[in-house]
Amino acid sequence: MTAVGVSDVQITTSRLGTALVALEVNCQRNRQVAAIRQALRLIFPIILLGSLADFIDQAWLQRTGYFYQTLHVATWVLQLKVLRQYLRLISAGTLGLAAILMAFAVSFYLVAPVTRQATNRLMAGMTAVISLKFFNVSRPSVLGLRAIKWASANLGLQGILMGILIGLLVGNSYRWFLVRHETTGLTGPFLLMSGWLLGTTALGLLWVTTQTVSLNAAFVSAIQWPFRLPHFILGLLGYSGLTSLYAWLGVLEPITPSGQTVATAQNLEAVLNHAGWQLPHPVTLHTVVDVYANFGGTGMLLGLVLAILLVHGHTQHHAVAWLSLVPTLGNFGAPLMVGLPVMLSPILGIPFLLAPLACISVSWLCLRLAWVPAVAYPLLTGTPGPLLAFLGTGGSWTALVLGLVNLALSTAIYYPFVKWHVQAQAQTAGEVADDDPRN
Amino acid sequence: MTHAIKRGFIVVLGLLVLLSLPGFLWRPQQRSEVRSHYQTLMAPVFLVPGSSATQNRFNALVKELNRETPATHSLLRVEVKTTGQLVYTGRIQPGDTRPFIVVGFQNHHDGAQNILKQAKWFALAFNALQKTYKFNHFSAMGHSNGGLVLTLFMENSLDQRAVRANRLMTIATPFNLEEDDATVDTPLFKMLEAGRQRLPRQLVVYSIAGSKTFTGDGIVPFDSVNRGKYLFQDQVKGFTQITVTGANANHADLPENQQIVALIRQDLLS
Repeated sequence: MTAVGVSDVQITTSRLGTALVALEVNCQRNRQVAAIRQALRLIFPIILLGSLADFIDQAWLQRTGYFYQTLHVATWVLQLKVLRQYLRLISAGTLGLAAILMAFAVSFYLVAPVTRQATNRLMAGMTAVISLKFFNVSRPSVLGLRAIKWASANLGLQGILMGILIGLLVGNSYRWFLVRHETTGLTGPFLLMSGWLLGTTALGLLWVTTQTVSLNAAFVSAIQWPFRLPHFILGLLGYSGLTSLYAWLGVLEPITPSGQTVATAQNLEAVLNHAGWQLPHPVTLHTVVDVYANFGGTGMLLGLVLAILLVHGHTQHHAVAWLSLVPTLGNFGAPLMVGLPVMLSPILGIPFLLAPLACISVSWLCLRLAWVPAVAYPLLTGTPGPLLAFLGTGGSWTALVLGLVNLALSTAIYYPFVKWHVQAQAQTAGEVADDDPRN
Repeated sequence: MTHAIKRGFIVVLGLLVLLSLPGFLWRPQQRSEVRSHYQTLMAPVFLVPGSSATQNRFNALVKELNRETPATHSLLRVEVKTTGQLVYTGRIQPGDTRPFIVVGFQNHHDGAQNILKQAKWFALAFNALQKTYKFNHFSAMGHSNGGLVLTLFMENSLDQRAVRANRLMTIATPFNLEEDDATVDTPLFKMLEAGRQRLPRQLVVYSIAGSKTFTGDGIVPFDSVNRGKYLFQDQVKGFTQITVTGANANHADLPENQQIVALIRQDLLS
């Protein structure tokens, strides 16, 4: 059914396809977007390594991990604790610094086309990093005139958007200045950099004296507010849509409050203490969104991987898909978001929003009509997407079938958009991937 | 080209099936695995008064603890008769996950023999409550000999496979009774010491001593409270000793002492 639907869509909406390809090409040619995309490509290997470390730590070495439980890892892995310490350090050094790396790279790539000097480019990047840090500093240490402590929370995947914004701000102002005054020697870069830093230090101090938390923490709590509304206002679709939108903009870690809700706890209690599978709350965010619309991470990215492998053409898509495969199978979506990038791409943004919404609608209907039982058991990190519902319901085959239907549905939704994305990519190939310093 | 790509698609699907295999094989064990780590929403806080005090001993304390907390916790009082019969007053509100349950005894006299009996009676009440409310973890606070009752219960009568003890707070509990001579071990202390290895490993213990004079709180010698370390240290997950002085530091006033109320909030209820 899905295959026929897809080919129909392609024939009837080729005009839509052309329009979208044009939009994507224009967007990619935009100077700001181009710099961000180059920066994302730069940090992709780092994000990939960090995601792999996170995946192994959480899915293989923790009690709530899928492979830990099913393969009885505790019985055969030696030095589990040392291994976890090692992997967590890798994760902190890669994913944990993502915002800083992005601030540097975005600023660097914005300045790169207008100056031939590596020092100016590097200085623009470093200034962005320092500016970001001025807004992420421990308040008591500054106000109490003690040794300065930098705040390192919220500089990871959640902070990528903030890193991009600071990078754009610094990079553009550097660029504006460099276009007018080509600086050479030592005085020029010194004056430019110190002008910037004196300014941002003053702003940072102003921030610290008036605000109690770091800029990144304030940003995260600001975008969290809609999630604190009562459930019925946003509903399942609203939650999913907002989460996808944030992820598409560069908040790559879920910011919704985690932890067991009362409804989830009551569901588990009902299943464990009473015979049969009667749940007091069959439809919750957990039983629908977490279980049926999160394969491969936010946005059903597992469907995107499958769609890419079905489309032929552009090899870079395939390379990214294969490289990101392991974390994506464990529902860690960050490498794919950064690698393609799905982030800030208009064409891929549409299915990224729509695929989870479609899966949620289908699953909601099935739950409402009681065709599938709702999940009650705790979910294990790293469980392959379609298996989440099967294990969550204690082995319901209909739930497994629904999971597979959702996977097929999301692949079908991604498929035409991936085709268009490949077309757009082919048109812009060679235009922006320009980091040869001789230019 | 097309052929190779279709093959990639098949490979990923095959990988999905392969990764799902351990899940299918593990599923029969899932229920027992979930059950073994399952923690009930309800985790009551047991309060056991000292000798000569009844199940109404902590009414004022609970009132005080319920002040300044967003959700007030309900109070259930149980009196165990010498025949083993249980008399309930008060009730647990539906949905209250941290109710206070005070267990008092009809025979609330001092003395080693009575304390041993009280520990048995407490186990009786505990098992009945556990059967009724189906909690599988709890915390407890004992004042004076109430702390001895709880320690004896945890050593001898707690079924650690079914119920997990989270935290224990003892307030002015005389682990060596009222023995003033620090070189003398009472039989009850020897008994507690012999059974210390049966204490729950994951338990976190706080022992609070009141200090009115330099040697005690007026009734219990400081040395006797201090002996808690010989029971808990290196046996449980954490053991903290706290000494409280100032106003209301004599033995009977301790449960209403503001510092101790703050400690209960911070260490037992948080």
